[in-house]
Amino acid sequence: MLKNRFLADKRKITKAAIYAFLLIILLLLPKLGISIYYVHILIGVFLYIIMTSSLRLINLSGQVSLGHAGLMCVGAYTSAIISKNLDWTPWLTIPIGALVTFIIAFLVAIPFSRLRGLYFTMVSLFFGMAVLAINEVFEKITGGQSGMVGIQRLFGVSKIPYYYFCLALMIVCLFIMHRLEFSRIGLTWKAVAQSHSVASSTGINEARQRIICFAIGGFFAGLVGAVYAHYYVVLSVTTFGFFTSIYIFIYMMVGGINSFYGPIIGTTVLLLIQPLFHNVIREKYIPFIFAGVLLIVLYLLPKGLFGLPEQLRLWTRKLRREEKTALQEEVIHRAPRN
Amino acid sequence: MDVALVCTVNGIVLSAIYIMVALGFALLLSIMGIFNFAHGAIYMVGAFITYGLAKTIGINQWVALFISMAVMGGFGLFLEKFCFRPFGGKVFEVIVMSVAIILVLETTVVVTIGGSNRALPAFIPGTIKFGVVSVSIDRIIILIIGAILLVALTLLIQKSMIGQQMLAVAQDRESAALQGININRTAAIATAVACILATLSGSFMSSLYYLGPFIGDGMLMKAIEVVILSGIGSLGGILAGGLIIGFMDAFLPVYLPNPLVAQAITIGVIIGILLIRPKGLFGHEVS
Repeated sequence: MLKNRFLADKRKITKAAIYAFLLIILLLLPKLGISIYYVHILIGVFLYIIMTSSLRLINLSGQVSLGHAGLMCVGAYTSAIISKNLDWTPWLTIPIGALVTFIIAFLVAIPFSRLRGLYFTMVSLFFGMAVLAINEVFEKITGGQSGMVGIQRLFGVSKIPYYYFCLALMIVCLFIMHRLEFSRIGLTWKAVAQSHSVASSTGINEARQRIICFAIGGFFAGLVGAVYAHYYVVLSVTTFGFFTSIYIFIYMMVGGINSFYGPIIGTTVLLLIQPLFHNVIREKYIPFIFAGVLLIVLYLLPKGLFGLPEQLRLWTRKLRREEKTALQEEVIHRAPRN
Repeated sequence: MDVALVCTVNGIVLSAIYIMVALGFALLLSIMGIFNFAHGAIYMVGAFITYGLAKTIGINQWVALFISMAVMGGFGLFLEKFCFRPFGGKVFEVIVMSVAIILVLETTVVVTIGGSNRALPAFIPGTIKFGVVSVSIDRIIILIIGAILLVALTLLIQKSMIGQQMLAVAQDRESAALQGININRTAAIATAVACILATLSGSFMSSLYYLGPFIGDGMLMKAIEVVILSGIGSLGGILAGGLIIGFMDAFLPVYLPNPLVAQAITIGVIIGILLIRPKGLFGHEVS
């Protein structure tokens, strides 16, 4: 009993130490003199971690969305258009963009809540395409394929303030999502995901829960989109296409869908492939490395990159057991001879 | 009137191509329950093999087309055995897998052949005059071949043993297996057929339009539109869905002032249908 408690405390302390260590490294990184290119990459990583985690939040209620970039697009263009045409400060338009995305996700989720499983996935995929098509129709306002320029910046030209802002935003968002997942409402979502009929028999309004879940996920996506707009300053519909949604989904799958930390690890690893290898091999061969990581995870790590330590432990145990049995067999074989 | 005639011919040709591509996508979706997003990449690689054999080696283009179909059919068997079967119908793992396949195929084409767009020569050059309108023979050939293929496929699915097995597996995997249907063999044949259809339509489309490493992405979108419109699990519905989308794509950009609105109208129509019938026009419930 006492030992267990001691172990639990020890684990908590190690966890806190790891968090503190990571935070200090991330805070110090720009001061350590990494090049501005890597600061830029890291800002993208922070933003996409929020995207991937919010996709996993939607996934908690058993809905797999392949139109997440569409929600990001709504947030980005809402904030950009308001700040550009009405000349409002981005500090005001970013929350507005997130809220508008929340409302749109809510409205869209109402008809979607009739669908489950594969049908939901198909229709959400289609929602992403619909957002792009609508965007291109209002070409005069949004710029369509040629892009939208002249969006206000959140800070000056320097990337360092963005770095700290996005880091803080990521930590706050992850904290909120963590609290949501392990609160009563998160448990309700998990119950809905496991069996909608059992969940509704215990008095959960499962359609409403799924709508709320999708809308909250949409809020985070819209928030990221809005910040993205005021950081990159140039928007084009191609950024929010079908394959962006698919890639966000893949970051989640590669990291591990069952763990809160999976999306964080998956996004970091896959987004860092490009900058880490672009000096090593020719640019056009990099997709092969990306595909290689996907294949390794698919065939060898059923729980994603997050399950790597557990899988390693399993393998070593299996190896040891095989050695042991081989040894025993040898002994048995030798026994009659001696 | 002339414009309408040209649009009709275009509509039928586009519909035939869309139906062939979407049928492959739908076969895998209903038989194995997986999204094969690599279908567009397979369509593109099939066209490139035809192009490579006909242009660089100099084989007769029709022979090249058949070789390419055989190669891609074999590739389909490989895909089913090593890429889809190990994951046993887990939809989301297979999505990751199909993206890995897309990356490998597209990057291989970009690295070996180059990223620029090119054109496959017409299978039979020349045009036929219908009154004042002239239509290229290629389009008519594609139309005829597409029609024959669709009839043959419908017959294959409705009458033959393997077709009936496919329908049974599409309806309910486990019950089909309990009846003694070899699910893996059915899935392998379906994948091979899907790849062959994609190759055929890819080669034809790139002789009509253009050929590039990323032509598959747009076609994948169209296939998904057709499949969503017709509903999952309905192979017959693909015909109607393909005709609707094909004719909308042929007529709307010509008759509307702004071609960009056409895409939005297509999507609007599909969303409207989905709001009334969430399972698509002909779909049935899939658990």
